[in-house]
Amino acid sequence: MASKPISSGRGGDGRIAFLLLVVPLGLLAATLIVPMVSAITISLRDIRVIGSDGPFAGLDNYARVLGDGTFWHALGISVVWVVGNAVVQTILALTAALVLNEKFPGVRVARVWIILTWIIPTVVVVIIWRWLLSPSGGMVNPLLIQLGIIDRPMGFFASGPAAMTSLILINSWRWFPFVAIMLLAGLQRIPNDIYEAAAVDGAGAIARFRAITWPLLQPTLLVLTVMGTLLSFNVFDIIWLLTAGGPAGGTETLPVLIYETAFKAYRMGDAAAMSVVASVLMIGLALVLLDRLAPKETAR
Amino acid sequence: MRFKGHALAGALALTVFGALPALAVTDVKIWHMEQPPHRVQRVQELIDAFNAANPDIKVSQEPQSWGEVYAKVPAAMAAGNAPDILFAIPDFTTVIRKAGQLDSVADFVKELDAQHHFIPATVEPYSYDGGVWAVPLYNMSLNFWYHKKMFADAGIAVPTTWSEWKAAAEKLSKDGVVGVGLPANKQLYTDQTTYAVMVNNGASELFNADGTLRFDNPKTVESYAFYKDLYKFSSPDAANWTWGEAEACFASETCASILQFSVISTYDQQGGGDAADLGVAAVPHADGEKNSSTIAYSNAAIILAKDAAKRDAAKKFIAFLLEPENYGKFLNMEPGLFLPVTTDGAKSETFWSDPLVVKYKPQVEQMIANSHAGMLFGFTGGHVFPAIGPISAQNILAETLQKVVISGEDPAAAVKAGQAQMIEATK
Amino acid sequence: MKRGPLGWLVLALAVLALAFLVLAPMWLVGTSSFKLPREIINRVPTWFPRSFTLQHYQKLLQTSAFPTYFLNSVLVAASSAFVTVVLALMAGYAFFRLEFRGRDLLYRLIMVAYAFPSIVILIPIYLMFAKVGLIDTDLALVLVNVTFALPFSIWMMRTFFASLPRELEEAAAIDGAGRWKTVVHVLIPLLRPGIAAIAIFAFVASWTEYLFASVLIISDAKRTLPVGLSGIIGQYQIDWGLLLAGASLSVLPVVVFFAFVGRWFVAGLTEGAVK
Repeated sequence: MASKPISSGRGGDGRIAFLLLVVPLGLLAATLIVPMVSAITISLRDIRVIGSDGPFAGLDNYARVLGDGTFWHALGISVVWVVGNAVVQTILALTAALVLNEKFPGVRVARVWIILTWIIPTVVVVIIWRWLLSPSGGMVNPLLIQLGIIDRPMGFFASGPAAMTSLILINSWRWFPFVAIMLLAGLQRIPNDIYEAAAVDGAGAIARFRAITWPLLQPTLLVLTVMGTLLSFNVFDIIWLLTAGGPAGGTETLPVLIYETAFKAYRMGDAAAMSVVASVLMIGLALVLLDRLAPKETAR
Repeated sequence: MRFKGHALAGALALTVFGALPALAVTDVKIWHMEQPPHRVQRVQELIDAFNAANPDIKVSQEPQSWGEVYAKVPAAMAAGNAPDILFAIPDFTTVIRKAGQLDSVADFVKELDAQHHFIPATVEPYSYDGGVWAVPLYNMSLNFWYHKKMFADAGIAVPTTWSEWKAAAEKLSKDGVVGVGLPANKQLYTDQTTYAVMVNNGASELFNADGTLRFDNPKTVESYAFYKDLYKFSSPDAANWTWGEAEACFASETCASILQFSVISTYDQQGGGDAADLGVAAVPHADGEKNSSTIAYSNAAIILAKDAAKRDAAKKFIAFLLEPENYGKFLNMEPGLFLPVTTDGAKSETFWSDPLVVKYKPQVEQMIANSHAGMLFGFTGGHVFPAIGPISAQNILAETLQKVVISGEDPAAAVKAGQAQMIEATK
Repeated sequence: MKRGPLGWLVLALAVLALAFLVLAPMWLVGTSSFKLPREIINRVPTWFPRSFTLQHYQKLLQTSAFPTYFLNSVLVAASSAFVTVVLALMAGYAFFRLEFRGRDLLYRLIMVAYAFPSIVILIPIYLMFAKVGLIDTDLALVLVNVTFALPFSIWMMRTFFASLPRELEEAAAIDGAGRWKTVVHVLIPLLRPGIAAIAIFAFVASWTEYLFASVLIISDAKRTLPVGLSGIIGQYQIDWGLLLAGASLSVLPVVVFFAFVGRWFVAGLTEGAVK
């Protein structure tokens, strides 16, 4: 509860707050805001290769970027990516959290080791799945054929939709344990007596979930959704390392497009413009979502 | 007493200060993209030998990854901590030239030419705008690799024309075997295989003599249509392939044939290493063409250092590398992959005495022969158009291919769109 | 709450499915790193190895700078975790206990930090760091990693503070303890699980960071594991054995580390911060 402190008067708070916050917030400002301002400046000039200079171009870069279909296409792909990840991860994480909330032999061990796929570096995740999904030596194709799900080895990255699906599944495999643990925390805060009372009243498992679990998980879910959406949107390395935005632009999210524009097309000015637009969209989205969250926090 | 003290101090000072110039060491930093550990080791051996023989110069290497270096080098140049020597390929060189002022090394190259005789095709990609912008160091060209036994068992002769190639691929593609492993990734490897096909249909020129684009022409469209035909017999995951996947497919005998610079290392380590079964030939040419051709990359060293002492030291090291006794060892950092750019290098003892080269001698000889007919898009016909830089960096050739084989677009339309993209990229 | 036989079945199936999903890939990668190259790229892969060789590990450890990359990663990750915890404690307390103008707005803005695409700030940060000579230093990476982990950590730390009973502070005040003493001697000890959770989060985030490490670090001696590993892999050939050995060796230490501190992570997050 964020109520008045006991031991000091109101006046001293501002100074202490400043002392405590200057380093953490100063660091965030320096590493985030300063570069962002720099990016805005670059977006207003016609700069090609990084480090070189260019003439002032006003809003030309923005006009070109927003008028080009590629930007909107990438934005669309990004939306698919974010939504896909949110859906798959929520399903996996919720299932895992519900399972881990139960009591069964080995649950304590399971609660620790579920996190295994989250603690490995992205590069290793890429190596693992490139190998597992490859036709020369990978296990997934033979396994699917044995189970009768497919009759011929398939290319998991052979087309845009296939690649996007594969990427979403791989990224979710990687992230769901973290979300699961956070959800588990939320679940554990729900007192058991509520469940007992509902059971006594004759509510079945599904009804209990709908009436108790789901509503009480909302706060946790909301925070996870906000943070998850922002982080998902900005994911770059796993997409770049696995498909580089291909095939045929099928996994070219906005971060990938920005990278290519900056470092392959050597159009820094355009890339900066794209970044500014993307940031504005994301910040807007974040503020809107957080607005719905904030009242609950301070109203205690 | 005091006088002696002064004299002693003076003498001491003189010896110390007199000795100082001899202790001044020039640092030379090299960035290259040959990251596999055994390549790094080999380069280090050569660096150590050079440093020992030249105590006033200290050369060091920092291997980088191709994936990062397009961003890293311009950033480093902007921040003032660029390397002194950078290994590069022709189109990357045009980008570097745009990003920073390069000094022409024409005189240095002439000197080296008098001594070692460069193969002219290896210097051409770096000679334009009245200067020579890098020193050729090693050559690579794409070849057609195949499993002799698989072809013999199916009763197929090595294809030399496109129709033979298609027939061979079709016949071999059964029971999980891939007739020909062709990539369709938006990546350099696919650029290379696409161009290798184009070049064999007379579609080698991307630019007209006046610098305008001529990518969109019937020969190019035919080439893309043929690639699409062949791609039917490729691996299901080929849309994600880089050089490594193709080699793995070949080594595991899932692929009966592939287009690759060299498979010798992987074939030897992971593929059973039967030298008698490894076949290499020129990339098949279109039925209407007379001879085969291929794509060839002359890799070179750019001297980025501005300081005179560093430039001299850098030149010394490059000259050291091109000495036949050292050159053979340098090329064999990856035996069979890197080919000599100089005629006396091609006769180097140390080149031919490497165990892998000895084992696969016929294949290496064939590779060298194939490389003479090599070309590189944007650097052909005696003209060099630096506008090729952004076209190559964005893999437009590969992207156009993806439109045809993955999105199923009509080749003519895709090529037209590709040309429009190229024009846009070079604005 | 009683669970019928159907309940047990569903639970068992779910547990098995999850276990398979997480463990099967790890098993395959680990065992395959000991297989001969021919068996690894075999068109028909094997669940249980039929061959055994240490060649991949030998090649990895002897011919590459893998140990160096590993140590660099450990150093950078540990430092990042430490700094993140300290700063999160400071900021978490400030947002929780102190009253000052704009506190709620500022608190909300912190999470917005995640809205900035890292690609955008990559080059300006590079140029900024270059001006102050921070390129190719561990400090540069620590600064970037802390920046990433901090917003979430501050949010979490504040939540942990909020879950502490008020009576503790009141009791400490009655005993005459000043604010500083209260925090350090009463509150922080109780937050140990939460602190551990944040430290682990920051450690893992730093351990896996690739983009900035690949651009800010130039020399091999200072490379971190993810960048170094992708370099060893090389881009021209695929030596699956080498790759899988590298992957296994990259995962093993984190697994060992987690075997010791793992329960703190879960405990810190699930049982709240009060012990």
